[in-house]
Amino acid sequence: MEDSAFSKEFLAFLRTAIPSVSAAELLLLLFRQPVRWWTLDDLLREIPAGASISQSDAGNCLETLRSCGLIESDTEKRLRYRAASAALDEQVRTLARAYEERPVTLIRMIYALRDSRIQSFADAFKFRKR
Amino acid sequence: MIEFLSGAVTLAYLIAAVFFLRFWRKTSDRLFLAFTIAFVLFATNQGLAHVLDIYSEPASFIYALRVIGFVLILAAIIDKNFFAGRRQPDKR
Amino acid sequence: MQTFNFILYLMAVLTCLACTVLLGRSYMHTGVRLLLWGTLCFVGLSISNVLLFFDLIVFPTDVDLRLWRLSTALGGLMFLLHGFIWEDRP
Repeated sequence: MEDSAFSKEFLAFLRTAIPSVSAAELLLLLFRQPVRWWTLDDLLREIPAGASISQSDAGNCLETLRSCGLIESDTEKRLRYRAASAALDEQVRTLARAYEERPVTLIRMIYALRDSRIQSFADAFKFRKR
Repeated sequence: MIEFLSGAVTLAYLIAAVFFLRFWRKTSDRLFLAFTIAFVLFATNQGLAHVLDIYSEPASFIYALRVIGFVLILAAIIDKNFFAGRRQPDKR
Repeated sequence: MQTFNFILYLMAVLTCLACTVLLGRSYMHTGVRLLLWGTLCFVGLSISNVLLFFDLIVFPTDVDLRLWRLSTALGGLMFLLHGFIWEDRP
């Protein structure tokens, strides 16, 4: 996957929808099984141990994803992947590819794009990462 | 030389504290408030230790300032890991 | 009283070390420059506090490490301030 795959559109997508690596993990979990309806507990259970995230943080991430038009929810608060447009779907595929082929670059990109490097300073003091 | 260094360190702590204060205002993260106060305490400790010509800290009450500073930092770290609930959403 | 001092100064060292480790670990993980400066700052402060510990608790009368204590603290803080001042630059 070449550097050009990290296009301006993809970076913009990351900046708006993916504030953290855990958010990326959550989205990719949903993306990989698009037919399944997930509960929050399902997601928290299946997220990789390294990217563990608190329930409230996960709620915030998912809310961001929903407002970006990436996931939908039903009446019982279960969630499912649904991209609002083909362009968005393409960005998520790029994300999945980047996650497989260039994970280190992807992680650095996500953190570099966060508005607040300052917040990273404070976040450094969390024992459990991301 | 000691005077120079002592003054420089005092000022450096103070300037860092001002930055931490700014970061706290920007992010509302309590950790920065703790660091602000802690660094002000370190600055005061350093300044007073020199001005009052106190060589051996433990013999004086001044070291309480440092202690409180470090306790604050520890408390902030513990607070962040065990008590902080929602994080503020990123301002975009 | 002596033990009390010992514990308090030890706490200072351990807190600085904890900050160093947490910031350093986060820097290695995310590559955010600001964290590098933070790590270096606390390396300096850790060394300074270790020296302070030795100066006042272990060898109270034999040595005067003030020059080294202040230099290392100042060095560390310079890194931090550099990072803070240029924090806007990516």
